[in-house]
Amino acid sequence: MEIVTNDKISAPIKSPSPWVIARRKFVKNKLAMISLIFLVIVIILSFLAPYITTKDIVRIDFMKISKPPSSEHWLGTDTNGRDVFTRMLYAGRSSLTVGLGCMFFIVFIGTTVGAISGYFGGKIDKILMRFTDFVLMFPFLVFVIVLNTILSGKVSGLWTLIFVISVLTWGGVARIVRSRVLAEKENEYILAAKSIGCKSSKIIIKHLLPNVASTIIVQATLLVAVTIVAESALSFLGFGVPADTPSWGNMLAEARNSDVLRDKTWIWMPPAIAITLVILSINFIGEGLKDAMNPKSKR
Amino acid sequence: MNDTTIKYEKENLLEVKNLKTYYPIKGGFLRKTVGHVKAVDNVSFSIKNGETLGLVGESGCGKSTTGRTILRLLDSTEGQILFKGQDITKLQGKSLREIRKDIQMIFQDPYASLNPMQMVGSVVSEPIMNFQKKSLASLKNEVIELLRKVGLPEDAYYKYAHEFSGGQRQRIGIARALALRPKLIVADEPVSALDVSVQSQVLNLLKELQDEFNLTFLFIAHDLSVVKHMSDRIAVMYLGNIVEIAEKESIYEEPKHPYTQALISAIPIPDPRKKSNRIILKGDVPSPANPPQGCPFHPRCPQAMAECSLSKPLLKEVKSGHRVACHLY
Repeated sequence: MEIVTNDKISAPIKSPSPWVIARRKFVKNKLAMISLIFLVIVIILSFLAPYITTKDIVRIDFMKISKPPSSEHWLGTDTNGRDVFTRMLYAGRSSLTVGLGCMFFIVFIGTTVGAISGYFGGKIDKILMRFTDFVLMFPFLVFVIVLNTILSGKVSGLWTLIFVISVLTWGGVARIVRSRVLAEKENEYILAAKSIGCKSSKIIIKHLLPNVASTIIVQATLLVAVTIVAESALSFLGFGVPADTPSWGNMLAEARNSDVLRDKTWIWMPPAIAITLVILSINFIGEGLKDAMNPKSKR
Repeated sequence: MNDTTIKYEKENLLEVKNLKTYYPIKGGFLRKTVGHVKAVDNVSFSIKNGETLGLVGESGCGKSTTGRTILRLLDSTEGQILFKGQDITKLQGKSLREIRKDIQMIFQDPYASLNPMQMVGSVVSEPIMNFQKKSLASLKNEVIELLRKVGLPEDAYYKYAHEFSGGQRQRIGIARALALRPKLIVADEPVSALDVSVQSQVLNLLKELQDEFNLTFLFIAHDLSVVKHMSDRIAVMYLGNIVEIAEKESIYEEPKHPYTQALISAIPIPDPRKKSNRIILKGDVPSPANPPQGCPFHPRCPQAMAECSLSKPLLKEVKSGHRVACHLY
């Protein structure tokens, strides 16, 4: 059987997937790429901290209290005589773990709830969304502080905080995913998937989620920034990461002492700058991803 | 005439009896159902094995809803859909999935009906994978064979839908619908989104495939010349009702229903000297949420009588195989 098509194709066999196209666009975005490189360096430095410095992060040394930066202590020492640079690296490890860990949990819970709610609609949607509203309604700080205090000691330090922040923050993602799924499921290809005998689970995982993934990925990126800030704020208040584990928020907490804040800037400036730069670069990456995954953007 | 008698001996592949599909209208503070949009209101017809039934009507008259209800993509409110004698309106879960192997759909919009994140190979192999366990190699062979059948190059397998033109995308949709070797294909305006030059290619492809795979079509369209080209029989819908159903020749030569007459008079005649006797209908289509009493067409009908606003005419046979719902006959 011969059918005449006036537009036969003679292109290379494999053609770029929408993901590949997005990656190419992202790589061209200088600001996002610089941010990404910076973030990767920070992550590597933090997680390789034990190989970079050998100084102790916990031991208190009264001989070295609040020493300004020197060749031995690059960023000086804090009010307990501990090396600020070393603590910075280890602190990055906990802050980034909290950020990334929360991001995974939040995206997982939020996407599951949002996709199920949006796809099935009706009663399921009503029940899940009212539950989401209920969770979103909790006063965040109060609940985090209470839950974290109750749970601390039962699970190892960081993971309590990650769990608590995640449980209270997934609502926003669930709502965003739901609204995207609501719009996307009206496309005929979802009807087509139904008509060729796909089960609901397959329609959600194979057809809906890849098409709302761009939104989810951008949200996930920004969530890392949001949760790092949340962690810092909580630790600053003394309710976040346990005091014996350094985190950028914990280190900032020393600035509550007005003497440190005014005269010993080397103690609190480094974590403050680290937080600012990391959040900034994450946001730039998020923006870059948003542009890259939007097929209409020309950049 | 001999041809039609043979057709009548064939059994009905699909029989639709008094099908109603209503969409609820929610309103008020408690979002109660305050009314219904009667998209499909008491529709009955049958399609014989190997036949093409054209379903025509203006937009919003319930053609697509009828098609989607037959595929069970929408739930019917009332009535029966008998496929090979089995009522499929109440099927659920596994038995519903089984019926999908026999009834497939070609969608109207070649852009929205393909997942932009899926490679063409995956689009076409998905229906097969849903029902059969096959090795990747034999699956790929089968898919490439299908792509070849619908006139797409082999290397389309690794491409994405956005790399194709509208006509080619529609071919991908046709390959997907064919993958399970269905008996019945509901083609929901398969060419109305395409260029006129590409339309005929796709229509001829559908005809060739019909012969090759012994397909039965429910061909939904609003373009009368397209329907004439494709169909054996034609059903005309107006406001959720079938107003006339007959053999193609019969309906084009002697349309009985005033609505059909108006439709046929609107077909452009490719001869500038010939004067067409265009019947211009007055007014607009009434809302299907609040259809008029009696005959749904009577407010616009040039031949309306007193009776028309009182009782709804039923389909009755005015000639062998030609049925009309009109009080004139």
